[in-house]
Amino acid sequence: MPQPVQYRGMSLIVPDNDTEWKEFYAHARAHRLVVRKCAACGLLRYPPTHACPWCMALGWTWQAVSGRGTIYSYEIVHHAIQPGFKELTPYPVVLVELDEQRGTPTPDESLRIIANLLKPDLTPEAEEKVAIGKRVGVLFQDLADHMALPQFTLTDERPQGRVWRLP
Amino acid sequence: MRGLRDKYCIVGVGETEYSRGSNRTTRAMAVEAVRSAILDAGLKASDVDGMMDYQSGDSTLANHVAPDLGIRLNFYMDVVGGGSSTEALIGLAMGAIEAGMCNTVAIYRSMNGYSEFRIGGTGARAAQPVRGLDLAQVPFGMRSAGQNFAPTFLRHMYEYGTTSEQVAHVKVAHSKHASQNPKAVLKERVSVQDVVGSRWIVKPLHLLDCCLETDNATCLIVTSAERARDCRQRPVSIMGVAGRVSKPRLDFHWAHGPITRVAGYYAKDLVFGQAGVGPDDVDVTGSYDAFTFTTMLQLEEYGFCKKGEGGQYVSSGVIELGGKRPNNTAGGHLCEGYTHGMSMVIENVRQLRGTVDDYCPRAAEGVHTYDYAPGRCRQVKDAEITMNLGWAMPPLGSALIMRR
Repeated sequence: MPQPVQYRGMSLIVPDNDTEWKEFYAHARAHRLVVRKCAACGLLRYPPTHACPWCMALGWTWQAVSGRGTIYSYEIVHHAIQPGFKELTPYPVVLVELDEQRGTPTPDESLRIIANLLKPDLTPEAEEKVAIGKRVGVLFQDLADHMALPQFTLTDERPQGRVWRLP
Repeated sequence: MRGLRDKYCIVGVGETEYSRGSNRTTRAMAVEAVRSAILDAGLKASDVDGMMDYQSGDSTLANHVAPDLGIRLNFYMDVVGGGSSTEALIGLAMGAIEAGMCNTVAIYRSMNGYSEFRIGGTGARAAQPVRGLDLAQVPFGMRSAGQNFAPTFLRHMYEYGTTSEQVAHVKVAHSKHASQNPKAVLKERVSVQDVVGSRWIVKPLHLLDCCLETDNATCLIVTSAERARDCRQRPVSIMGVAGRVSKPRLDFHWAHGPITRVAGYYAKDLVFGQAGVGPDDVDVTGSYDAFTFTTMLQLEEYGFCKKGEGGQYVSSGVIELGGKRPNNTAGGHLCEGYTHGMSMVIENVRQLRGTVDDYCPRAAEGVHTYDYAPGRCRQVKDAEITMNLGWAMPPLGSALIMRR
């Protein structure tokens, strides 16, 4: 069993029998963002789960996605709870809506993913640059030989829809 | 929806003091709260033969609490959970009695939520290993309830123009109510400016948008309407109940929008359908205030105002004592103390009895002044129907409608 990965004071544990996350992180370490694709209905899902939430089928494959998306909502943490995050405050946490499968299979559903919004050097993006509607792309924060965290960074693409940030 | 309207009652309520440092065990506090509720109901230990509780690995289980009081049980169940459990367990207690498993159920929650096992995620919780689904959020510095919920409120601000000042009125109202509550941890009234001027915790939430971690135990006693007639207090009838109703994708609710929609959207038809009443019939609400905005989100989802107009609703004066439909008249989790929902049901039971424990000298006899100045009265005149809107997280909630 691989050792827990130490990251900002946390032990991240992905044992060999973790059928949801182990391969997800191996792909991330190779700098690929993958989601699960249902072998029966073809719909993509995140986070990785055992059955398809739409058709209940068990079969699936990993599907690489572009890693491009739009900030759907966010928060700025000023008071960190985890001790290892105190030095990063204020840091943004973003809810990113990926470009693939937007509004599918119903208008209310999309592939959305939580991560930090980082500068290319992996430090937290400045608070005043974070806004709903801004475009982002994935980047990978390597943590160990077998694990990397998918994170996001701002791109120079045109925003999607109304751009808004907390005044 | 088939229900058990008016067949079951809450006949006893009890609690320990709300403090930030109990200096005793959850076992001692649970025993005291259960005992207090039994005495409130005018029952004996031998009259209680069912017990339920909820906890998150932070409390004492029923098999220790019951024997401490000399109670022999025909049924008990310890449930894992936090907010939204109160209403769910009341419904399960009704089901256990209806099934003939027992006659009278004591439901308790006991927690050193400030001094031992902090709900906010600091201390022991911050050091817990991260595995499984937690990997989708916690490694990004998103662990506490405030951090887990904040993007929901921010998106509401984006979609509907809701403001920090509007939801600050929830804290203002609850602080007003707490100023009439001798038990409240925070009795001082605050202003909108106090709330929006307090330091940021996680934008868009200020310090005073967040509730109070507290040490306490609380208890409710459920029995049949027939047995309730022999109890000491005026019985309070359960009209409808919905327990732990969820949105789709409870594992990762961000996947299913609109993320500004909360579980009440799905719970409201269940609970109003059983009760045979609607929002206009409700005199007092207890909308779970883990944060100011959670109260607002639920009130609009259950139809007390239109979706998206929660900001106007909570800032209009409606939710304050003296308003049309006061909310959390004891001060709620923002001011009275954090109980994972129990205290809001206890308060509504007392409202319906007409014996809210405010500063009126003859409150216990049901004699009130209805003077809502600080340090006076918090009884709502002629409260007939109350509703509790229990919250666990945006995609999970419970509800309860009671009448006198």
